[in-house]
Amino acid sequence: MRPILLQGHERSLTQIKYNREGDLLFSCSKDVLINVWFSTNGERLGTYDGHNGTVWTIDVDFESRFLISGSADNTMKLWNVQTGKCLFTWEFPTAVKRVAFSENGDQVVCVTEQRMGHQGAIRIFDIDRSSDGTNQSTEAVNVFHPIGSKATVVTFAHKPSLILTGHESGKIALFSAETGEEVETNQKAHMETITDLQLSPDRSYFITSSKDKTARLHETATLRVLKTYATETPLNSAAIAPLRPYVLLGGGQEAMNVTTTSARQGKFETRFWHKIFEEEVGRVRGHFGPINTLAVHPSGKSYASGGEDGFVRVHHFDDSYFKTRPYGEFEPDP
Amino acid sequence: MATETAVKTSWADDVEDELFPSKPQETVDENGVRTIVEYYKNDDGKTVTKKIKRVLQKVVVNHTVAERKQWAKFGAEKGNKAGPDRATTTIGEAVSLKLSAGNKTNEQAEDTPEQQLKLSMQKSKIVCRICQGDHFTAKCPYKDSLGGLTGADTPAEVDVPSAGEAAAPTSIGGKYVPPSMRAGAGRGAGESMFRGGGNRDDLPTLRVTNVSEDTSDNDLRDLFSRFGRVARVYIGRDRDTGVGKGYAFVSFEDKAVAERAMQKVHGMGYDNLILNCQWSQPREARAP
Repeated sequence: MRPILLQGHERSLTQIKYNREGDLLFSCSKDVLINVWFSTNGERLGTYDGHNGTVWTIDVDFESRFLISGSADNTMKLWNVQTGKCLFTWEFPTAVKRVAFSENGDQVVCVTEQRMGHQGAIRIFDIDRSSDGTNQSTEAVNVFHPIGSKATVVTFAHKPSLILTGHESGKIALFSAETGEEVETNQKAHMETITDLQLSPDRSYFITSSKDKTARLHETATLRVLKTYATETPLNSAAIAPLRPYVLLGGGQEAMNVTTTSARQGKFETRFWHKIFEEEVGRVRGHFGPINTLAVHPSGKSYASGGEDGFVRVHHFDDSYFKTRPYGEFEPDP
Repeated sequence: MATETAVKTSWADDVEDELFPSKPQETVDENGVRTIVEYYKNDDGKTVTKKIKRVLQKVVVNHTVAERKQWAKFGAEKGNKAGPDRATTTIGEAVSLKLSAGNKTNEQAEDTPEQQLKLSMQKSKIVCRICQGDHFTAKCPYKDSLGGLTGADTPAEVDVPSAGEAAAPTSIGGKYVPPSMRAGAGRGAGESMFRGGGNRDDLPTLRVTNVSEDTSDNDLRDLFSRFGRVARVYIGRDRDTGVGKGYAFVSFEDKAVAERAMQKVHGMGYDNLILNCQWSQPREARAP
């Protein structure tokens, strides 16, 4: 397959996200820019300008009407996807590391950093979807400070009343959105910080990637560990592929170790693991730096990866990807 | 009288340069693939052929997706025309995703050093000195039967058997062996000082070959002890893995016992292999 290279960022990518239909791909980076692209041909649709610091995270609602972004300039911004206009800005004492829309777009949850006397916090806001969206409340519906290790990733779980979090200690927890209490927790889900958390299409299970070189599949309702994928490099991102039973893992050495190893260019790889059999089945190389973020098209027919090198590579799978049965007769029926 | 020097001209210069059409040609395949071929001269004056294939793809999508395709560009893209901008969007080199079960052999399968060695061996012509097969002399399967090429003693003549470490007879007829390294060179003096009386060089020793890999010391000891007392068993092993190399030296206390053992064991089946048993060669040189 021939990947499409999207060169819209000058610094490393922090997150990429497909919208619900998959025709738009959003990317954000340390270079304060947010870009949106048409995923079929890589054509850039526009940019969202306004942040003054690294944009750590973005999310798009189910209608592709609103975009939410969190940045190191201590703000969270709501944007109109179509026009690129910033509709509302929330300000916080510390940087926003992760944002997520709820399934129906009525709420957003964000994680703010722990720094200089301010505790790490998880905040939930209502989003007023009527009219043009500029009328938002600055007050959070709920703010809670998880005790212990700070949260690194967050998303709404299988029910809108539950928040799913991943922590620096490797802990995973389910919080009630109303009360802020921990409903369920798995302290030993990972040994080190959790770098990414992505839900399955139906939200009944999710994948987490961690610096402890493993990625794990968990059941959302119970936080039971379903599968473990052990690699030899710290992982920055993991995604579940629809349609075919694979998961994608991406990581790589820390940027500072890169020059000490072989000078082969483009050697950073996205790894494909079989979701059920927990074995690596393939790799796609091409990035010139560690892969920071992965996203799979909702149809399962293409995927994109964003790297430390500032490139987003969009890959449309060949026929062979859909036809190959690496495990022969043991494969689950399509 | 002025001599005229003929000016040499090359016939090629006379030939018309512009043999190709300078207008781009378009053709349409039966599959609807449009091919546009253009020829032009680049800066170096060289002709360049440019072929562009365009395939029109029709995709049926959700109506919201179709609507979004019509959106005006904004932000840094404001005012730009439809279609990808080459500054931001390029096609990368082809990469392949080969899906296969098992593991990390999806990157270039790194041959183990053995495999690499084997490959390089297969290319160079290796001839065994004993049977002229394409293996090393040391690995010759006919070492025992045809191996009596040593210029020095044959196994039967050796009265002072010694437990040599090397399985391969080191001096094959024709190669110079320094006196200090020849059989019976009197180096026993050094040995006996180290060991006092009765060192292993004095013991009647049999060389057993075609021993299976997982035969152990004790197995051989048990096998040979029915003939008499076994003083020593040495199994040749790979230095790194400890896997048996297929040969062993069994030293007895009594020569007659060794003789009898040899008669009985030679050709005997043991662990699915037929053992060879003979007197061990006189001790050759150790590596200097």
